[in-house]
Amino acid sequence: MLNLIKYVVLLKMCWQDGLVYRMSVFMWRVRRFLAALMSLTIWVTIYQSSSSGAAHFGYAQADMISYIFLISILQNLVMATAIQGLAQDVYTGAISNQLLKPISLTAYLAMQELADKLKNISAMVFEFIALFLLFKPELLVPSSSTLVIFVLWALGAVILNFCISLLFGSLGFWSPETWGPRFLFYTLMQFAAGQLFPLDVLPQLFQKVMYATPLPYLSFVQTQLFLEKLSPDEVVRHSYTLLFWIGILGLAARTIWKKGLRDYDAAGR
Amino acid sequence: MQYHTYWKVWKTIATNALQETFINRGSNILFLISKSIRLLFMLLFLWILRSTVKTIGDYTSDQMVVFFLVYQFVDTFAQILYRGVYLFSHLVRTGDFDSMLIKPISPLFRALTGKPDINDAVFLIPSTALSIWILTQLSLTITLQSSLLFLVLLSNSLLLATALHILVLVVGILTTEVDGVIWLYRDLSRMAQFPVSVYIQPLRSILYFVVPVGIMMTIPAETLLGVSSPAVIMFSCLFGIVFFLGSLKLWHWSLKKYQSASS
Repeated sequence: MLNLIKYVVLLKMCWQDGLVYRMSVFMWRVRRFLAALMSLTIWVTIYQSSSSGAAHFGYAQADMISYIFLISILQNLVMATAIQGLAQDVYTGAISNQLLKPISLTAYLAMQELADKLKNISAMVFEFIALFLLFKPELLVPSSSTLVIFVLWALGAVILNFCISLLFGSLGFWSPETWGPRFLFYTLMQFAAGQLFPLDVLPQLFQKVMYATPLPYLSFVQTQLFLEKLSPDEVVRHSYTLLFWIGILGLAARTIWKKGLRDYDAAGR
Repeated sequence: MQYHTYWKVWKTIATNALQETFINRGSNILFLISKSIRLLFMLLFLWILRSTVKTIGDYTSDQMVVFFLVYQFVDTFAQILYRGVYLFSHLVRTGDFDSMLIKPISPLFRALTGKPDINDAVFLIPSTALSIWILTQLSLTITLQSSLLFLVLLSNSLLLATALHILVLVVGILTTEVDGVIWLYRDLSRMAQFPVSVYIQPLRSILYFVVPVGIMMTIPAETLLGVSSPAVIMFSCLFGIVFFLGSLKLWHWSLKKYQSASS
């Protein structure tokens, strides 16, 4: 019970910490809103330009608009992370303060992530009401069972992204040059997650390469599930694959962090 | 103006940036790979779109490719010159900006051009060559006159990009914070990957007249395609000059508000 209270207090602190620079938070939200607005505008224009609202790339207009709404929600929920500066904190020795406290570093980072997600979700509600009023889209709502699996897969994606962030953070134990790999990863993720266009718009070869990585499991497969584009067999297969990636990357993050902490000499402190 | 001195200073800064790039070779190579992947994915998407949709808004899908290529060029060029702006808040917060103020060289010049982006400079060469090749493959009518006017408007775009970066510096002096503003500008300019006229009002007007990425990117592309009227071209150039002069005035005003609190 005491442990739980400790983490609730930690969560409250992280929440307050995240709201210290309110203008930065506001700017960040405006940027996310603009990204969603751009995608929605482009796709609405494409569909309105074509005769009789024909389907493009296997998506009818309502499917595509629902897709863009969904992907924007998932981007806010899954991809936005508060621990992107972790590698630098490790390299500069800033994590020493956390290591000395009677709280697990992973739990501390998880609370930081959770507070950040809650902050994003709170702002997202208002933004999506605004987008909804602007575009008045015909959104598709799946069956309740699909909705339950969707929520589970979205939570899986949050955990998966957390593991990936930990892995990138661990680079800081051995090198100050961490932005290069991160930038490459985020570039790939941007396309594999499909902020501007769905992954299945791309040729088969690209899709196959992407599906060999965990990237589509960060939000793309969730959108396909929600839009009921997956057969029951595919749902089972993707569930196992998502679990597989969480297991593998979680284990890798744990092992590498253990090794990193053994080598850690708090340089810069 | 002592052009020779300014050129010498910029050359020294650029040489230092180049040496820094060579020190962090691994990260910089990954950066170039990432930039290339981003460009290729976007081109691939536009290519797929081109084979599926004939028109998007008032433009053909070939014309849409031109808007993206112009955005790509202007954005990269501005990054090469003005990457230093991203580091400005640090200079203000630590008080290092004071040392720029006491030197016999314009502090605005140092703040703007403090760190040329070598990665983007390297990236600009193949991406421009690729863009020109793509332009030759599209079904477009580009005349010599429209090309010349396009070059004039590209210079205007550079003037506007300079003005917008000066405004970011002004915000930096007043609030010691530029990160949010500069990234907001980047996101707004990213919206000009597509013609600004497709966006709803009042966003469209904001993109033309408040953060004028429409005049920076959409109008030059339209001019190249020969769909801009002379009045629009004249207005764009006039707007660019007035906007630039306005940003200089604001810069001088903001310098008077600088408190040098950190030093």
